[in-house]
Amino acid sequence: MAVAVIMPRQGQSVETCILGQWYKSTGDPVKTGDILFSYETDKAAFDEEAKADGILLVRFFEEGDEVPVLANVAVIGVSGEDISEFAGTIEAAGETVSHSSAEPAVITSMETVVKEGVASRIRISPLARKMASGLGVDYAQIQGTGPMGRIISRDIEAWMATSRTAKPSAASPHAEAVPVAATPAPKESPVLSSGEDFQVKPLSNMRKLIARAMHQSLQNSAQLTHHLSADARALLAARKKFKKEYEAGIVADNVTVNDLVCFAVIRALKKFPQVNTHLLGDQLKFFRKVNLGLAVDTDRGLMVPALRNADDLSVTGLSSQLRTLAEGCRKGNINPDLLSPEAASFTVSNLGNYGVEMFTPVINLPQTAILGVCTITPRPKDLGDGVYAFVPVIGLSLTYDHRALDGGEATRFLAEIAREIENIPF
Amino acid sequence: MPKSQFINPEEVRKAGFIEFKPVPVNQYARSIADERANFSNQDLLRIYRDMVVIREFETMLNLIKIRGEYQGIPYNHPGPAHLSIGQEAAAVGMAYTLSVDDFIFGSHRSHGEILAKGLSAIHQLDDTTLEKIMDTHFGGATLSPVKAGHTGTLKDLAVKFLLYGTLAEIFARETGFNKGLGGSMHAFFTPFGVYPNNAIVGGSGDIAVGAALFKKVNRKKGIVVANIGDASMACGPVWEGISFATMDQFTELWDDDMKGGLPLIINIMNNQYGMGGQTCGETMGYGIAARIGAGVNEDQMHAERVDGYNPLAVIDAYRRKRKIIEEKRGPVLLDVLTYRYSGHSPSDASSYRSKEEVEAWENADSILWFGKELVKEGIADESQLEQVRNEITDLVTQTLKLAIDPKVSPHMNLTENPDLIGSMMFSGQSKDRMEDRQPEVSMPLEENPRVKQLKTKERYAYDENGKPHSKIRNYVLRDGLFEAIIDRFYKDPTLIAYGEENRDWGGAFAVYRGLTEALPYHRLFNSPISEAAIVGTAIGYAMCGGRVIPEIMYCDFLGRAGDEVFNQLPKWQAMSGNVLTMPVVLRVSVGSKYGAQHSQDWTALAAHIPGLKVVFPVTPYDAKGLMNSALQGTDPVIFFESQRVYDIGEMFHKDGVPEGYYEIPIGEPDVKREGSDITILTIGATLYRALEAADILADKYGLSAEVIDARSLVPFNYQPVIGSLKKTGKIVISGDASARGSFLRDLASNITELAFDYLDAPPVVVGSRNWITPAYELEEYFFPQASWIIDAIHQRILPLDGHTVTNDFSEAGQLDRNARGV
Repeated sequence: MAVAVIMPRQGQSVETCILGQWYKSTGDPVKTGDILFSYETDKAAFDEEAKADGILLVRFFEEGDEVPVLANVAVIGVSGEDISEFAGTIEAAGETVSHSSAEPAVITSMETVVKEGVASRIRISPLARKMASGLGVDYAQIQGTGPMGRIISRDIEAWMATSRTAKPSAASPHAEAVPVAATPAPKESPVLSSGEDFQVKPLSNMRKLIARAMHQSLQNSAQLTHHLSADARALLAARKKFKKEYEAGIVADNVTVNDLVCFAVIRALKKFPQVNTHLLGDQLKFFRKVNLGLAVDTDRGLMVPALRNADDLSVTGLSSQLRTLAEGCRKGNINPDLLSPEAASFTVSNLGNYGVEMFTPVINLPQTAILGVCTITPRPKDLGDGVYAFVPVIGLSLTYDHRALDGGEATRFLAEIAREIENIPF
Repeated sequence: MPKSQFINPEEVRKAGFIEFKPVPVNQYARSIADERANFSNQDLLRIYRDMVVIREFETMLNLIKIRGEYQGIPYNHPGPAHLSIGQEAAAVGMAYTLSVDDFIFGSHRSHGEILAKGLSAIHQLDDTTLEKIMDTHFGGATLSPVKAGHTGTLKDLAVKFLLYGTLAEIFARETGFNKGLGGSMHAFFTPFGVYPNNAIVGGSGDIAVGAALFKKVNRKKGIVVANIGDASMACGPVWEGISFATMDQFTELWDDDMKGGLPLIINIMNNQYGMGGQTCGETMGYGIAARIGAGVNEDQMHAERVDGYNPLAVIDAYRRKRKIIEEKRGPVLLDVLTYRYSGHSPSDASSYRSKEEVEAWENADSILWFGKELVKEGIADESQLEQVRNEITDLVTQTLKLAIDPKVSPHMNLTENPDLIGSMMFSGQSKDRMEDRQPEVSMPLEENPRVKQLKTKERYAYDENGKPHSKIRNYVLRDGLFEAIIDRFYKDPTLIAYGEENRDWGGAFAVYRGLTEALPYHRLFNSPISEAAIVGTAIGYAMCGGRVIPEIMYCDFLGRAGDEVFNQLPKWQAMSGNVLTMPVVLRVSVGSKYGAQHSQDWTALAAHIPGLKVVFPVTPYDAKGLMNSALQGTDPVIFFESQRVYDIGEMFHKDGVPEGYYEIPIGEPDVKREGSDITILTIGATLYRALEAADILADKYGLSAEVIDARSLVPFNYQPVIGSLKKTGKIVISGDASARGSFLRDLASNITELAFDYLDAPPVVVGSRNWITPAYELEEYFFPQASWIIDAIHQRILPLDGHTVTNDFSEAGQLDRNARGV
């Protein structure tokens, strides 16, 4: 009995997904758990695994196609099976992506000019496309006001103006700034051109999104970074304690240095609400809760899931939840809504494991700051009475948006994190 | 019509008959013995040698074409070779008496004429002159292959040079007479008085008339011979050229020493076939081509038929006809009877004629016959003649070897220099005058009534308060043209202007009012209503070194000069290998109000043809500046003018149109109004409608339109337009041409390619309908109006709040109209 492979619905707002890459060809045998294809929402990339054994009988869409969610993407079954019953949803769904029908011969008002052709392919002028790309604007969400509903430059300008200022609560963000996953373990990308000593390959769609978001962040904010370090003796002691308890089976979670730092950051954020914010044009959005973004390095690329209400959690709860999120990212089953830059109110990026001693993390706009956590190094310290000793210190790099925060308060906030680390209550 | 000529009804209504004088047919009846007093033995032997040179040269080409080898030398010549084997006596006879100052023009079948005239010139020129000619042609590039290893006299070297230059040209070698860009059908060499041959049948029929006009107007020595075929007598432009050449005014109206006919011989090389069509008995009705001359003018063009199989008969005719021309009683028409044994081209199987006919002519072969006569008269014996033939076979063999050697005679290297031909399309010189001498004028410039009148005119359309002057007080577009043109008439002695109603009337649109007073007849005159001849003669005039302004009264008549404008005028600078320049400014007036055949903007036709510069100014300032540039240059310029704006004042150049001389470079569009929201680019008088549209956009929709006047079409600098698009992202392109295939579409296409990333909408073309132009009362439905531009913007570029459209510029409408072909 043949079974259809459908395009999963990833999040309630998702109507279509872009089919990224096929890993199986028509006629290939597949086993449950095999990755069939990758696909992308406008926020994240996913792999779809086979949920049945058999032969991949047909593929209804090809790479790069925009596929309505829940539409049949492929059929798995036994060779020679009738697959006609599965094709139906394609036609029905296909209508939503195919071009609309005949246009009225005489156009008499602006209304008709604008409305015609809407709900078909996205019409956008080259100039508007270039502007959108430069500003990191996802034009798919914009309603064009040009002829036939074409998105033209004034629409991008209007979008920038309104999304930056008037609608801090707007459901759809103006920019998809969160770096998310690249396509999973990509096969060799096609080579566009090559010379003796180079090859040119296209960026994956997710890479393009990340590139746009990062570029937009640096283009559209006033970022700078302060570096400071904290005495890590208490931190390491706490870590040692938790490790022992975990190994002894006293606690369920192996609380890491990063968990402890995050815990300290959350406490600091409660004292500095102006850092736990989004900058939206000429308004600052203060969050009552801490939604902590955590940069997760996966083999697919950088992802930043948000842990909502992180300030409600105990240190072990925090540790547990952060690990769940990170695993979700690594497996690709994370809820894409959590990957939005709007989902987090502040982000922590930890490169300490890699021995990085200092870096300048890039803010996920519209967040106002991001903390980079660096490695722990020994440093001489005056222990009093002329006694000097090497103590472990942890490096902290705070990038903040100077439009939202001044150097003084950013420094005080960073010092507060250090204080929380040095006085970690465990 | 000049007032001095009174058309008296009593005279012209009288009964009577036209009487014709007999047209002589083959009346030459002297034997070689009779001619001994007129020719030395050397002369007669030279005639024999020249005929053999032509015969062997063309036999070689024939063998190369049909057998791929000559004297064991293999070669493949893919290009044309229209041979004249059998016609040698006609060519040598024609050329024998001509001096280097006499010019011949030819056809597609003119290798024989080139060689005959070249050999004649070599015989006449002294060694010093000859050497200089050969040394200086392309810096000696044509000479050096034959000079290497040459032993013998300079004249022998010159013969080698002639054969080699011609053959290398036929084989498209860079060392050819015209760098290989002319080829078999266009080869020529002006230092020997050989002017262009022409691949268009009858192409020389009007161009040669222009050359004769040049000789006459500029008092140059020599006569002009148009070698054209018997079948070309059916071509309109040939007839037009003959009409032009026989105008009464040369004898009736032209002043003083200018009085008298053109120094021109229409030399019909009558080989009795036009391709396969037999002109006597099948495709024409004249029977004997000389008959044509009888109907043309009172002199019957001194027409006669001459036996072209006897070189001495042809020489005799040329001696007699030259006298007539020297008496200023030209032009002359000669019907030189001959025959070609070779087909029209190597692919011709001669299925249209019998073997017997060809054999009969071969039996009468002029070379055989002439040789026998020489032997009979004791001028040479057979072995001497054989030696001549052998020497020539050797000469042709050596020439072939050189011409096909890629090291000695390379083709143009377009791999290394891909733009080489591109760089030769225009001569691009800046020349005040084509010759240094005093221009002939009738009065000092400042005394000219129109020049005086223009001093009182307002050279800017608005007064200091911004109020427009009354129309009558304005200095207008036609005044700008007049000032530039009269200025050049007082600078360049070679400049002449003609067309329909150019003298007395002052041109149909009064551009030339005041010129009649300023210029003698031979510098400004009325032409017959013969657009082909108007342009064709201008080409011949310019080829010989003059500057000329022919005029086409309505753009719609351009088709009447199709071959001249599309095939001749644009091509000769490059086809000559840049030996020739073509300072011709062809004024073309675009009409309106006069319906379907008097209101068309055909700028696209001119712009499509490589080798023409095309301008279309619509303000007095631009008209004067661009006319000055056109007249200062050495390239052919199609100068479009709009009848809608001849009386428009200068609305843009705030300092007014300068009284002095200035140039506006051809190819530079001009921003007529600055703006930031949308660009409107126009060709021609649509500029003023675009400005209206810009006003509406500003007043009703708060949009600031930048209006750019293309001014020139070829060349065209896109940078200012792209610069504007970087600001606005939006562009409408408008003009009066029917939109399909118009230059507007070309602009749109280039702009799309060049400025794609700046575009916020497709470039939209608002041209005229693809209809006939209706009556004036309905023109607003045909020509772009301000409202059309607004509608197009609304529907295709930027929906305008609250706008209601009256014209359908929708995609659906465009698809539908295209599907219907309208």
